[in-house]
Amino acid sequence: MKSKLIWILAPIIGLFMSFSYAQEKTISGTVTDQMGMALPGVNIVVEGTTIGTQTDFDGNYTIQGSQDQTLLFSYIGLQSVVKVIGASSTIDVIMEEDAEALEEVVVTALGISRDKKSLGYATQEVQGEDLNTVKSGNFVNALSGKASGIQIKKNNNLGGSTNVVIRGNASLTGSNQALFVIDGVPINNTNSNSEYQGEASGNYYDYGNTASDINPEDIESVNVLKGAAASALYGSRAANGVIMITTKKGKDAAGIGITVNSGITIGSIDKSTFAKYQDQYGAGYGAYYGPDEDGFFNQEDVTGDGVADITVPFTEDASYGGRFDSNLLVYQWDALDPDSPNYRTATPWVNAKNGPISFFETPVTTTNSVSFARSYEDDGSFRLNYTRFDQSGLMPNSSIKKHNFSMSGVFKLTDRLTVTGYSNYINTKALGRNSTGYNDNIVSNFKQWWQTNVDLKDLKDIYFDTKRNVTWNPASTDAGSAPIYWDNPYWSRYENYQNDYRNRFIGNVSLDYEFTDWLNFTARVATDTYSEIQEERRANGSVPTGFGIPDSAGNRGNVDSGYGRRNLDVTETNYDFFFNFQKDLSDDFNLKGILGTNIRRNDFQSIYSATSGGLSVPRLYSLQNSTGPLPLPVERAEKIGVDGIYASASLGYKSILFVDATVRRDHSSTLPEDNSTFYYPSVATSFVFTNLLNADFITFGKLRANYAEVGNSAPFDFLFDTYNVNIPPGAPSTSVDNQKKNPELKPERTESFELGLEMKFLRNRLSFDLAYYQTNSIDQIFGVPVSRATGFEKKILNAGEIENKGVELSISGNPVRTEDFSWTAMVNWTKNKNEVVSLEDGIQTLQLGDFQGGVTLNAEVGQPYGVIYGTDYTYLNGERVVDPADGQFIKTSTSDQKIGDTNPDWLMGISNKFNYKNLSFSFLIDIQQGGSIFSLDQYYGRATGLYEETAFINDLGNPVRNTLADGGGFINEGVNPDGATNASRIRADRFGAFGYRRGLPDKAFVYDASYVKLREVAISYNLPSKLLANTFLTNASLSLIGSNLWIIDKNIPHEDPEGGLSAGNLQGYSVGSLPTTRDFGFNLKLQF
Amino acid sequence: MKKLAILITAVIFASCSSDLESLNENIKDPLAVPGESLFTGAQKNLVDQVVDLNVNNNNTKLWAQYLQETTYTDESNYDQVTRTIPETHWSVMYKNVLKDLDEAKIVIEATTYSTPELEALKPNKLVIIEILNVYTYANLVETFGDVPYTEALDIDNLLPMYDDAETIYKDLVSRLTAAINALDESNGSFGSADRIYGGDVALWKKFAASLKLRMGILMSDVDAAFAKTTVESAVTTGVFTSNADNASYTFLGSDPNTNPIHDNLILSGRRDFVAATTIIDVMNSLDDPRRLLYFTPTDDGTYKGGNIGETSSYSTYSHVSAQVEEATFPGILFDYAEVRFLLAEARARLFEVGGTAKEHYDAGITASILDWGGTAAEATTYLVQPTVDYDLAIVASTATTPWKEVIGTQKWIALYNRGLEAWTSIRLLDYPLMATPADAVSGFPARYTYPIIEQSLNGANYGSAASAIGGDEAETKLFWDLN
Repeated sequence: MKSKLIWILAPIIGLFMSFSYAQEKTISGTVTDQMGMALPGVNIVVEGTTIGTQTDFDGNYTIQGSQDQTLLFSYIGLQSVVKVIGASSTIDVIMEEDAEALEEVVVTALGISRDKKSLGYATQEVQGEDLNTVKSGNFVNALSGKASGIQIKKNNNLGGSTNVVIRGNASLTGSNQALFVIDGVPINNTNSNSEYQGEASGNYYDYGNTASDINPEDIESVNVLKGAAASALYGSRAANGVIMITTKKGKDAAGIGITVNSGITIGSIDKSTFAKYQDQYGAGYGAYYGPDEDGFFNQEDVTGDGVADITVPFTEDASYGGRFDSNLLVYQWDALDPDSPNYRTATPWVNAKNGPISFFETPVTTTNSVSFARSYEDDGSFRLNYTRFDQSGLMPNSSIKKHNFSMSGVFKLTDRLTVTGYSNYINTKALGRNSTGYNDNIVSNFKQWWQTNVDLKDLKDIYFDTKRNVTWNPASTDAGSAPIYWDNPYWSRYENYQNDYRNRFIGNVSLDYEFTDWLNFTARVATDTYSEIQEERRANGSVPTGFGIPDSAGNRGNVDSGYGRRNLDVTETNYDFFFNFQKDLSDDFNLKGILGTNIRRNDFQSIYSATSGGLSVPRLYSLQNSTGPLPLPVERAEKIGVDGIYASASLGYKSILFVDATVRRDHSSTLPEDNSTFYYPSVATSFVFTNLLNADFITFGKLRANYAEVGNSAPFDFLFDTYNVNIPPGAPSTSVDNQKKNPELKPERTESFELGLEMKFLRNRLSFDLAYYQTNSIDQIFGVPVSRATGFEKKILNAGEIENKGVELSISGNPVRTEDFSWTAMVNWTKNKNEVVSLEDGIQTLQLGDFQGGVTLNAEVGQPYGVIYGTDYTYLNGERVVDPADGQFIKTSTSDQKIGDTNPDWLMGISNKFNYKNLSFSFLIDIQQGGSIFSLDQYYGRATGLYEETAFINDLGNPVRNTLADGGGFINEGVNPDGATNASRIRADRFGAFGYRRGLPDKAFVYDASYVKLREVAISYNLPSKLLANTFLTNASLSLIGSNLWIIDKNIPHEDPEGGLSAGNLQGYSVGSLPTTRDFGFNLKLQF
Repeated sequence: MKKLAILITAVIFASCSSDLESLNENIKDPLAVPGESLFTGAQKNLVDQVVDLNVNNNNTKLWAQYLQETTYTDESNYDQVTRTIPETHWSVMYKNVLKDLDEAKIVIEATTYSTPELEALKPNKLVIIEILNVYTYANLVETFGDVPYTEALDIDNLLPMYDDAETIYKDLVSRLTAAINALDESNGSFGSADRIYGGDVALWKKFAASLKLRMGILMSDVDAAFAKTTVESAVTTGVFTSNADNASYTFLGSDPNTNPIHDNLILSGRRDFVAATTIIDVMNSLDDPRRLLYFTPTDDGTYKGGNIGETSSYSTYSHVSAQVEEATFPGILFDYAEVRFLLAEARARLFEVGGTAKEHYDAGITASILDWGGTAAEATTYLVQPTVDYDLAIVASTATTPWKEVIGTQKWIALYNRGLEAWTSIRLLDYPLMATPADAVSGFPARYTYPIIEQSLNGANYGSAASAIGGDEAETKLFWDLN
């Protein structure tokens, strides 16, 4: 037995012995620079092992190693030194300045790597690691605050879209979204949301933007190309800047190359972003009920004994009713249904124990991934990754599940021929995305139209007990009554849910052939294709609402049930062929150049069909189950092609001066033949002045300047008029389209220039990048809203100019860098000033969107893009005017008052990272200053008496909701039309006094959207290499992550200032947006 | 090196594909359609907008105090800004009606039909389009005042100026006269594409004459001579002579082609409207036989209407009757009863239209009762009541111009379910008196204010028009509304 054990253990013992076979010894020494100054914080590793250390404050180190091993000394800004240990046990090292080490290589347009110092335009790199700490399901969100010049606006919709705008809105009505590029090739980032979703119409969903499919695990780094000069080679689509993503290729694979990553994130609602209700009054709109319409309750016989009972006005979706009184027993909604435990039972009139916030669930996100990577020295490398992402949402019955498979690699087939490839398959399944907008949105229900006496737990119990739509808001007292305005929210979630399913493939293969040491040829083909199914359903017995296919005016018929599905097929294919050459013309001059062509084809196909008039068989969701004849489906087939040729040349003089010039010619399918080919140039220059200076503390200094033009073509089908075919009202019916097209379009044009200064001090201890830019977008192609008296809503024109001017500043520093402790800080600051310079001749104002409440979003000449118009207070000598007759403000009679500007004054991100030995701690603070947001939730929700601001003790010491006779009401601050200080009291004993209804203008519901947020906090611990030395692990780290932990400051009550509609140009309007969650996560990463 | 040169050339030419522009073709929507289908679409859009009671589209049934909102009483209180109703009305009339009619005309004119018989229908089709054009423009003038007219429907003029309302109105009358003269009753027209008259030219002629009668009457206070000529010439042409002549649009049973009232009251499941006390009180006092045809009784069998502008509980008050809520309840653009009331007014104003005011008044009431499903006997009983009897009522009236109160009140009852027309009649005759809503945001609206988008987009022309009519306010009286 014993001997057998020895045999079994022998190989293991042998393994251990082999590790300790080499003769270990202790080496020590001092590291100094050329001047003889001690260098603290120099990294020293034993090559090929995980053994490493750092020099202390005096430049001293000690390390374990054996004779035949080598030590690698490295320090940023200095040339690395390699020393074989040999016989000696003391190794002193002098490290020299390294010009090369300052050569930051960045990925530029087309995926071409360039030396950053030679670039005449602004780029900013964010490491994949920094985007991957917090797993939000959309890596784009993680960019917020991490680069200057970029505004990220996410919303809280499950899988919702994120608005990414670089250097301000340049396009009046077209897309202002940045272009997403993977390994040099553009991918699709559109969202398939209905245009009506963006306009806050109810019962639409936010399907998210498709860039969210990119797996953050695959990202090596992201480079933000900010100006037109940086992106000129991409042509038209890159006018809004580019997010360049470089994927991991397995080059840095260590150990046996397996990485396992496992993370979990749990969210909890930040209560400051949800409604805080008053708790003193329940259902009703005022004293309007009962036989004489003067009480807070109705008198109806609900017990069937022929005697009138005190009943709650269930049909009213407001909380401006009777004062709570636990001694008062009333018949509530739950007294009506025979399956209810309180059937025909009166219950105390009290504030609900479980308010709407208890409706939300705890969102849990898990991410598990495993990747395999291997590097074959100079021959290449590969990487395989599988990631599974599971997310459950705030809303009951909501989830997103993703499987992401990716493979990438680079191989040298011959000395001259290299092949690179990336392929990514993503399968996304979403269930129960939340309905957005005004109607049929549970959050609008909770934030605008609610009864504070209704208990969510009761609603939950009765739904799960009966699986029927027993609602708090029935149309009548009859048992089984249909709802009048609102369903039981659990019914909505479990019966009226949507789902979608997307299969997507992104891939590219690229061949690189080296003709000579100065000339390369690259051929690349790339595709991004997905098919998607979206299904929407309503169960029989729901509140009727607009559903299905909208008519040409956007109206949808009311139905209590229905089923609709949309199938999408979207493909983009890019073919790139380019020559890339680089030659030293003399000792001083170096010439680089690119000559190439890009062929792009986009194909978009969709079909949307929906039942009409309801479903014949309940709970069967199929088109053939339509009660009415199936309406005409909406079918789309759109193809776009752009063929481009481009050339660029870059001349460098002694690493001091660089001049770049590019030119691109595009031929686009969407413009009329005479105008479809167009050219645009760019010039950029970079001057590295430090090479002429001799100031020790300045490590690096560079001035850059550029000018670029980018041409842009039109969207699909903007040239020739087509008609709409209507569902026949008994005879064939057609109509003229709302939009007049234009067969004489020409390309639009963006002209921009930029000045920049980059400096680094004290061996990179401190550095900054400062940029000033101006971008003018001219001859914009868009549907100009016109007077409807022309017979159209819009006319496609080349019209208008928008100017964006701005300053971007990034400062990073390394205030402390010692052996055990380091502190890195970075600040990104962005200020963009936007102005609409001109519109079509004679037009001063364009209406970009019109919303409920008479609020519109506009572009007006001389104003920033996106000003909010609506009604305002009227003023007398700067004071608000109050009508003495009723104490109400007198608002303007027209809605053309400027009441807000959606553009922020500036944005700032502050990140700090502290490392102590193996422990690191980092946090990011994200700040937006200024910008306005209109809240429809407050507009209505205050009128209906939901919020705590609508029930308080007034100046007379009485409840404000008492009648005036009873000492209630309050005094609006202002003056009467005669100038006298207002002393008239406004009634607050009925709904509306605090909301939209009684004199308050739209202006009263416009809030400052500023915020200061603690966006991310992360604590990571890397297990010491000593601990791992004798295991199969090469690296193990553990992180605790928090995101959106604390909204340090904001000015809009009851919601998140970032809560908006979805991605797109219509911003600054908030309706029924979900509360924000504080997310806590835990992540474990193991490398083998 | 040679290979390289070839490769470079190949790369550059790779992107020089020809015929790239053909990708831009929209293969899913038609580039051309029959003019008749455009006419059908326009006609439906017009009827939908006129018939509708959706608070986002048409509030005039609330303003005429036939109906009252239950909980959300903004529109009962004359709020026309929050839901931008003028915007909708303007947009539907210009964009969805006039533009499609205009396009129908252009297409039909340009069409060469396959047979001489079909070709022969063309002139009548164009005239019928013209008649609906006049109807629609007249409505715009009656609701807004000055509106774009000579410069309207021209997409090359993005900022059309507004024309003087009275000038437009008179021009419309002469266009109508020309249309009447151009109709050829010996030939057909649209056939089934016309969902009102099935292409019956004789009926269209009566419709045009009746419209001319109405337009003439509207001009009476501002230009009596013009009104007289217009009215008399209309009657000579031949106005409606029975309910069979009613311009009644046939809806279908399923969405989106049902009567819009059905969509609003039944399909929506909402309970936004109850009867208004103003009409219920009058009908109760007259024991009007149409009461149960217009409204439902409350639980106790009586008819009750909500107080104007006040929150009203749905269960307490009467509602719109079941027949009005039906999907296929006809949409009325014009009816015989109205014609007889107009003739009564004409006689009261001493225009030569034959008969007496009383005869026309009695006929109007009778036509209305019968059309709504009442009986001749009910009509007879109703008419002899002292409060209804024309002569007695005139004597009893304390109004400055008693016939305005007497005819105005009965015409208003008959115009139930025709909000726009009723609102116009109230504005012209100033009777019956409307209650002041509890939380009125303005006086009784004499017009729609101009759309917000006109203020911001077409500002200069808007400004001139606003000052020309005396201010862009709800209370600004239009040119024909002198008293």
